Amino acid sequence: MTGGAIVIWIAVIALAIHAFRARPGSHSGRHANYLILGGGAIVPTIVLTALLIYGLAPIPALLAPAPEGSLKIAVSGEQWWWRVRYETSDADAVVLANEIHLPVGEPVEFRLESPDVIHSFWIPALGGKVDMIPGRVNRLSLTPTKIGVFRGACAEYCGTSHALMSFYVRVEEKAAFDRWLMRQRATALPPSTPLAKRGQASFLANGCGACHAIRGTPADGVVGPDLTHVGSRLSIGAGILPNKPKAFVHWIARTDQAKPGVLMPAFGMLPKADIEALAVYLEGLR
Amino acid sequence: MSIDPGPLTAAPPEEVQRAQTERLLEAWKQPTGWRYWSAVNNSVVGLWYVAMTFFFLLFGGVLALLMRLQLARPNNDFLSADLYNQAFTVHGSVMMFLFAIPIFEAIAVMFLPQMLGARELPFPRLSAFGFWCFLLGGIFLCGSIFFDAAPRGGWFMYPPLTSKYQSGIGADIWLLGFSFIEIAAIAAAVEIIIGALKTRPPGMRINLIPLYIWYVLVAAAMILFAFPPLIAGSLLLEVERAFHWPFFDPAGGGDPLLWQHLFWLFGHPEVYIIFLPSVALMAMIVPTFAQRPIVGYGWIVLAAVGIGFLSFGLWVHHMFTTGLPGISLGLFSAASEAVAIPTGVQIFCFIATLAAGRTVRSVPMLYAFGSLVIFVLGGLTGVMVAVAPFNFQAHDTFFVVAHLHYVLIGGALFPILAGCYYFFPLINGKKLSDKLGKIAFWLAFTGFNVAFLPMHLTGLRGMPRRVFTYQAGLGFDALNLVSTVGAFILAAGLAIVFWDMVRPKKKQSYSERNPWNAGTLEWTQEMPGKPWGMRSIPEIDSRYPLWEQPNFLRDVDEGRFYLADAEEGKRESILTSVIDARPEQCLRLPGPTFITLWAALTMGGFFIFGTFSLWWPSLLSLLASLAIIIYWLWTETALIPEKAEKDVGLGLKLPLYLSGPESAGWWAMFITMLAVLTAFISLVFGYFFFWTVRADFPPDPVPGPGHFWPLVAALLLLGAWAQTVLARRWNRNDHASAFYTGLLLGSILAIAGGAALLAGPWVTELDPTSHVYPATVWILVTWTTFQILIGVIMQLYCIARRVAGRMTARYDIDIRNVALYWHFTAFTAVVTVAVIAGFPLVA
Amino acid sequence: MSETAEKDQSLWLLTASPTFWAAHFLLCYITAAIWCAKVVGLGGSLASARVAIAVYTVLALAGIGIVGRVGYRRHSHGNATLPHDDDTPEDRHRFLGFATLLLSALSAVAVIYAGLVIFFFRSCY
Repeated sequence: MTGGAIVIWIAVIALAIHAFRARPGSHSGRHANYLILGGGAIVPTIVLTALLIYGLAPIPALLAPAPEGSLKIAVSGEQWWWRVRYETSDADAVVLANEIHLPVGEPVEFRLESPDVIHSFWIPALGGKVDMIPGRVNRLSLTPTKIGVFRGACAEYCGTSHALMSFYVRVEEKAAFDRWLMRQRATALPPSTPLAKRGQASFLANGCGACHAIRGTPADGVVGPDLTHVGSRLSIGAGILPNKPKAFVHWIARTDQAKPGVLMPAFGMLPKADIEALAVYLEGLR
Repeated sequence: MSIDPGPLTAAPPEEVQRAQTERLLEAWKQPTGWRYWSAVNNSVVGLWYVAMTFFFLLFGGVLALLMRLQLARPNNDFLSADLYNQAFTVHGSVMMFLFAIPIFEAIAVMFLPQMLGARELPFPRLSAFGFWCFLLGGIFLCGSIFFDAAPRGGWFMYPPLTSKYQSGIGADIWLLGFSFIEIAAIAAAVEIIIGALKTRPPGMRINLIPLYIWYVLVAAAMILFAFPPLIAGSLLLEVERAFHWPFFDPAGGGDPLLWQHLFWLFGHPEVYIIFLPSVALMAMIVPTFAQRPIVGYGWIVLAAVGIGFLSFGLWVHHMFTTGLPGISLGLFSAASEAVAIPTGVQIFCFIATLAAGRTVRSVPMLYAFGSLVIFVLGGLTGVMVAVAPFNFQAHDTFFVVAHLHYVLIGGALFPILAGCYYFFPLINGKKLSDKLGKIAFWLAFTGFNVAFLPMHLTGLRGMPRRVFTYQAGLGFDALNLVSTVGAFILAAGLAIVFWDMVRPKKKQSYSERNPWNAGTLEWTQEMPGKPWGMRSIPEIDSRYPLWEQPNFLRDVDEGRFYLADAEEGKRESILTSVIDARPEQCLRLPGPTFITLWAALTMGGFFIFGTFSLWWPSLLSLLASLAIIIYWLWTETALIPEKAEKDVGLGLKLPLYLSGPESAGWWAMFITMLAVLTAFISLVFGYFFFWTVRADFPPDPVPGPGHFWPLVAALLLLGAWAQTVLARRWNRNDHASAFYTGLLLGSILAIAGGAALLAGPWVTELDPTSHVYPATVWILVTWTTFQILIGVIMQLYCIARRVAGRMTARYDIDIRNVALYWHFTAFTAVVTVAVIAGFPLVA
Repeated sequence: MSETAEKDQSLWLLTASPTFWAAHFLLCYITAAIWCAKVVGLGGSLASARVAIAVYTVLALAGIGIVGRVGYRRHSHGNATLPHDDDTPEDRHRFLGFATLLLSALSAVAVIYAGLVIFFFRSCY
């Protein structure tokens, strides 16, 4: 399609240059009328008809639902992160955030929704985008064919930090995927080092659990992202910071700088040592 | 082959000519000093209008440069996220609403009189009013960014982001400010349509009108049907913001997608409303420099009218990713491909004309050629984006940013620049500099492509639109830097064009008359032009009178045609019939006044106070505005002439007063009411949209408004309508007492009908904040009642006019226009009742 | 001469064929939207809606054909060829006919494009 467009573009420009330079009298009015009829009407109609058919044919397959029994993942776009729910058949759903793993070669159906404003779910390398519209549930089916890590982003302007609403998708072998899902379903590992223990205490004492859940601890908030295995993710802050203790410190202390307009208040007023302990604790939640 | 009357065979004696020009000059004298701003001539107002649109172009351009600076590097912090979001919102809104649309209307009102050989368009004061509205609204909007209060919801303003998630007045500024400006746009559209159809010179049959006129006629007609859905949508969104009626809030049963339908029902035709008048400039320029008539005149008319229609079938292609059924995508994909056919036809008409002609190299042609190169690529990517599977990838990425700038800059800005270089001598009698023009072109052309060509790739690599920053290492860095550099080169080119236009030209000598040897009527203008437009209004026998009618300039200049004089010292022009431009009326035109400025200021007060939720000052402003407009109508419209007929020359006598469908005012009312009706139908569409998407709309059991009160309302309002129509007849038959009692009864019935309409939802206690169903019923009822209220004012106005002797049995413009208004109002009322009371029975 | 008199002419004829397209387009869209939203729901069969769209398409093409024929007759009124730019009622008549004919052709193509959807979509996804 792109090639065809470039050819047509060059042809039209060449024709225009030729017309511009043509000697008067070399083209009669009759010729000129044929040029309009042929070049302006008939050829474009043929090309466009072909293009229309070429464009319509694949739509039904793109919009068709994934086959019965496929993996179902509900993703909810929220200002400015992603709530991800694996709806497995054998047990309760697993609620995660900001990262998606997929088994290679297997169809998957995303159920896309939003509780606040309109977002758009887009993994450029895997498929087209589909909007997440409050009050509606949209579906997107696709089958990843390549193993690897891909980036996804929100494609619909959704407010101040629309630019900072990304996520990573890891496509892996079925076995690796199953192992990953099992680990994600498990409760959080208890902190092992003194620093991490201090971090957990600080997490609970400072009310972080009002918004965030860490399964296996008293923290069971549902407003913000689930942090049970936050340390296992490829990034933090919805695809904007590396998963490193230093990045956690930055995020916790200067949240609003990392993501302007974010709902989470910055906790820069906590003692520096507490923030560092929190960072170590969270980074350790693999 | 002409069968029309020719010019006088001998020129009037010299002293007669001198006396005639003196009288014309006196009648058309421009006010001076501070009173200069009371001018209402379309040529003067058009110039202010164009100047302001260029100012807004500059403003939007500076915002674009700031955004490009922010995006030059990854993770840049030159602009904050919030400021960037304001910048792109204001950039898009300004370029669309304050540059692209108004400049088409500005150029049209400025040049239409000359192109039509008319002294003036029929409603100069309406144009002046429109300009002041535009100026006020535009400054209000642009100014808001300096107070960090600008809208930040994108130019498309999608709720619920703009309804519940953005506090502050930004969204209100957008909604109310642009509604105000849209009123100005509709006013200009009325002026342009009637100008194109009714003020053509005698003999300029429909097959002879300049192509520019065809294009602006279509574009203005599109405004009538494209802007009202946005006005309706803005009304719903503002009511939701201000009073919490949940039209777009799923928690209250609303649906955010309704806004997208209404917005794009406006938004896509809008692209063509911008594009058509710009190609129209090309259609004037190309034949001039090919030195031959256009090849394919009929094909271009096909293209203009065809695009006008097809462009209304494209709106959903902005919504391909919202989860609509495939078959809907298919339908809109089909129309999106079909519209490319007429678009391509006109390009081939231009190429064919160049091929058949003897092309002269010139600066306007350079810009025209640049436009072709850029626009064709934009058109082709447009065809690609219409292919749904490709759209799923490209939508809302920088690919679309590139596409739309190729279309709008290639399809609108470059033709407008070509038009500037071409038409500038008509403005102050002097040409722009060829040298600066060429330098500016190459800078702008190169800079544009350097800036926007890479964006196709940036988008395909996955960079979404409307992001204030991006992370390093994703393949966007170098491309963005190149785009930023290109943007500054483009800006340098445009800066040179601006400089060329505003640089002092005192020393430069006046251009010769018709410097490009063009064939169309506007080039009869002397250098510099006279305020009266044409010395005498010519009889037209050809598409290119300056080429094909012998001694044409001499005959015009010596006053050998119509209206060579202003015996009564009044401003006059000729109205002609739609198809064959037979002279029908000698139209008297109003002179300078400040009343249009006052009307715009008070009307602006209504919207601006409303923005700050200052409801009382807002309401007072509205009432003041109403009073001023009534005073304006009372003193300056439908004036009874001192004699019935006037000799306009060449042995032709024309009436000075016509009413009903023969008059310009009746058509203005008709056209305005079409726009009002379209807005109303958009609201009705909302009702049925909710019915389609919601299982509980209307709720079961239906909570209101019942059947009794709506039916009573319908009967009373039909009575009011019948009384008004009868009153028109009684007036014509000079039954004064029947007229007075009939119309008075009509207004009483109307008031009672309006009250009954409100009673329906009132007595059934529908609470508009509780759910979208009552909200929708209330909005339909409120809209209709408001229209009835205006109708009552009109009825009383007619009574007063007749009492004051300003309306008689024969001079009856007022009542005939009011009767027309009531046809529409009765229809609106019947539809409202049928929907709110009847549809729940069916559903 | 009477055939070309001004009072028997109007610009509305130009808009007739595009109006057929508009009506066809809207009907197809509304039928499909209501069918999928109200009648069969997500994933339901489009069978009857496709028949309806086929019927609309045939009707619209018939209407456009009639208008186009009127346009063609006017275009070839008397014996004159393009570009119909003489200052006579006859040439104005031919011009309006020619423009009507071209618009009918364009409208027919657009109607066929819209009608094509019935070959590609069988269900409400």
